[in-house]
Amino acid sequence: MSQKPLLKVSHIDTFYGSIQALWNVSLEVEAQEIVALIGANGSGKSTLLDTISGLIRPAKGGIEFEGENISTLNPFQIVALGISHVPEGRRVFPNLSVLDNLILGSYNRASRPKKEQNLSIVYELFPVLEERKNQLAKTLSGGEQQMLALGRGLMSNPKLMLLDEMSLGLAPIVINNVYKALRKIREKGITLLFVEQNVRRSLEEADRACIMEAGRVVLSGDVADLREEEEVKKAYFGI
Amino acid sequence: MFLELFADLSTPIMMGILLGGLYALIALGLSLVFGVMKLINVAHGDLVLFSSYFAYAAMTTVGMDPVVSLVIGVPLLFAIGFAMQKYLLSRAFAISMEAPLIIAFGVSLILQNFQQIVWSPMSRGLTTSYTLASFGVGSIRVPLAYLLDFIAALVVMFFLREFLNRTYLGKAIHAASQDRRAAQLMGINTDRVYAFAFAISMATAALAGVFLGLTFPFTPQSGVSFLILAFGVVIIGGLGSMLGTFLGGMVLGLAQTLGGYFLGAAAQMLFAYAIVLFVLAVRPQGLFGR
Amino acid sequence: MIHRLRGGGIPFIVAMVVLVVLPIAGMPRSWSLYFFLFFIYLAMANMWNLLAGYSGLISLCPPAFIGLAGYALVIGTWIGVPYYLGIIAGAIVAAAFALLISLPVFRLSGIYFSIGTLVIPEALRIAFFLWRPVGSQMQGGGAGYMVKGVTGVSVSWFYWLALVIGMASIFLMRLILRSTLGLGLASIRDNDRAAASCGIDVFRLKLYSFVISAFVTGIAGGIFYIYQGYIEPASAFNIKWTMIVMLATVIGGMSTEEGPIIGTAIVVFLHFLLAKYAGISLLIQGIILIGIMLLAPQGIVGVLRHNRAYRSFVQFIDAR
Repeated sequence: MSQKPLLKVSHIDTFYGSIQALWNVSLEVEAQEIVALIGANGSGKSTLLDTISGLIRPAKGGIEFEGENISTLNPFQIVALGISHVPEGRRVFPNLSVLDNLILGSYNRASRPKKEQNLSIVYELFPVLEERKNQLAKTLSGGEQQMLALGRGLMSNPKLMLLDEMSLGLAPIVINNVYKALRKIREKGITLLFVEQNVRRSLEEADRACIMEAGRVVLSGDVADLREEEEVKKAYFGI
Repeated sequence: MFLELFADLSTPIMMGILLGGLYALIALGLSLVFGVMKLINVAHGDLVLFSSYFAYAAMTTVGMDPVVSLVIGVPLLFAIGFAMQKYLLSRAFAISMEAPLIIAFGVSLILQNFQQIVWSPMSRGLTTSYTLASFGVGSIRVPLAYLLDFIAALVVMFFLREFLNRTYLGKAIHAASQDRRAAQLMGINTDRVYAFAFAISMATAALAGVFLGLTFPFTPQSGVSFLILAFGVVIIGGLGSMLGTFLGGMVLGLAQTLGGYFLGAAAQMLFAYAIVLFVLAVRPQGLFGR
Repeated sequence: MIHRLRGGGIPFIVAMVVLVVLPIAGMPRSWSLYFFLFFIYLAMANMWNLLAGYSGLISLCPPAFIGLAGYALVIGTWIGVPYYLGIIAGAIVAAAFALLISLPVFRLSGIYFSIGTLVIPEALRIAFFLWRPVGSQMQGGGAGYMVKGVTGVSVSWFYWLALVIGMASIFLMRLILRSTLGLGLASIRDNDRAAASCGIDVFRLKLYSFVISAFVTGIAGGIFYIYQGYIEPASAFNIKWTMIVMLATVIGGMSTEEGPIIGTAIVVFLHFLLAKYAGISLLIQGIILIGIMLLAPQGIVGVLRHNRAYRSFVQFIDAR
């Protein structure tokens, strides 16, 4: 019926040492969708993203990207395939310039030829980065660092972007700007899977959502449907 | 009278400054590895010496000039460094925090013992026609080797800095040293980057070893002294700063030559060590570091 | 202490009695040398394990403590101090020295600490090469001395001295590890910032283990030098001491109580095996060290602990 999903996570278990963090998690993301991963702290959202991007290997289950199994690949190989993970806490390279940070984003062989092209796209989306391109990343404000992290993620020509807690520690105005940029990114045909603690915001921006609790997926589906779910209303809107 | 003292001091001061170049060159590799992988390679001094001994072997068996032998020596040490990180140290990092240090310690002693067996505890030197020459600035006469060391240090540091700042691999090395996870997410194969960083470190060690051999006599036990001096340069100069490394080298070079001038040749290393310990005690992050 | 004598305690006492009586019962000379070295190295290895295995401090300092204690002892014998007091004096000197350098050295974490402790024996070696505290100038300069006043001391006596310090080190380790000091050290090793925020005085605990380690190592060193009869800077402050204790602890198993015991037994055995190949002994030890670290990082004890028979044996000895 529908064509193959861009990303297919099937029944994965993930461990930190001997502690299990993900139980039988499954998730599908179609091309050009925006999917939100919602849940409280410790529910496993970041762990799921880390598992998809290869920072952690799942103990059980499979992950397919464009039909290919990626669950045993290294992070740098997964980036080359077209998945870009913007990690929690921004994690820009503090002692490198904004420009160097962006250039590093296009490190993988496939995106190097497109470096200049992608740079102008990033500057268009985030003009402040062009203004500050020679400044050290650590001198940027929180919001600017977030934009730098996003820009960096774009430099690798991704088909799918994993975004972990974009709004952490940012003022509401800044958060709005970030989401505005996300929408523009989506218009360029990039699929987004983002983690966000703010439920209301997530449901506003996403097409579909996936709610996690204690390492399991408890609810998932179209946002419109989810809004009506009693559980969602109760748990997160305090109704 | 003060002027007389100053005139007398001018030779050790000049020598100390030039010597600083050599020490900076020796410390370069240590600094790179420490900055990138947070590992103090306790075998560094012995690896530098290995290059000195290799050049010595080339000189005594086929009569090759030491600097020319670098054509083989540098790639050789580059390859050894790459293999050492890829197959030995990367495994060590995965085992525990102490493992890399202990393994490097093992390598250090293996090298020391090996060099002692092959070349005996007698002191050796890379003596060529030009090492015995001296050059003069005003009334000061300084061995030519010291000047060569200084120039070599400048050249190597310049190229290394350009490499680190301008090339993709260089930037990747910076990135991997600041945030390994984020670097991986940039598509950087951090294992390979670490191996390259270590290999580059060994390549500079190869250069350092030859110039060291041209300047001083060396024995299998000298490795420890050079490790301590290199470490001293790194902490005085601070990490991440080429200028700092250079200045750190000069501080220790001056400490040694002035110490030797005032306290006698036998005590000069002691004076340098004392400075290292002093800086460790007072400001471990260095005078120029971030 | 009494309740520990139940069960495994009795075989333990029997073993002790046997060990004490051995020299009187007529043990061959080579055996006594083996045991002597075993107990001396054991004391040093246990102390190194206290720092490296339990406090997270990879110390390259043992030669400093051994050399200083040795020199204090030997110089003592030259100025009329009897050797048995000299041993204590040496240990105190080593401990005081540890106290002195601890201020600069503990501000440093991990790697800085290790290199700091590498510089110190080197500096001491040069210092004692240049300085000759007592007696007239000897050939070759530097502080090479014969030990005075130990003629006529029997081999058995050396054996018993070594036995005492070796066993004392085992008891000391047990005592420390089960005390609050031990608990504090374990938490520091795990995460010293977290430990500090729990109110643990990180500096003080590291200091205690460092000074204790220096003291006991100093005693062992002193006893060694009485036996050897002479001391000189190059071998006193030599890195081979560090290799011995590191190898013994790593082979046996770092951070375990039994590790140093097993490891030291092997190292002394190696020592005799390699006596013919003195030239390459450090090389071989280096290869073994790297090999063990890569293949069996938990040491022999780590491997043994997977074995049920071994576990029950240990429980029996522990008399729990």
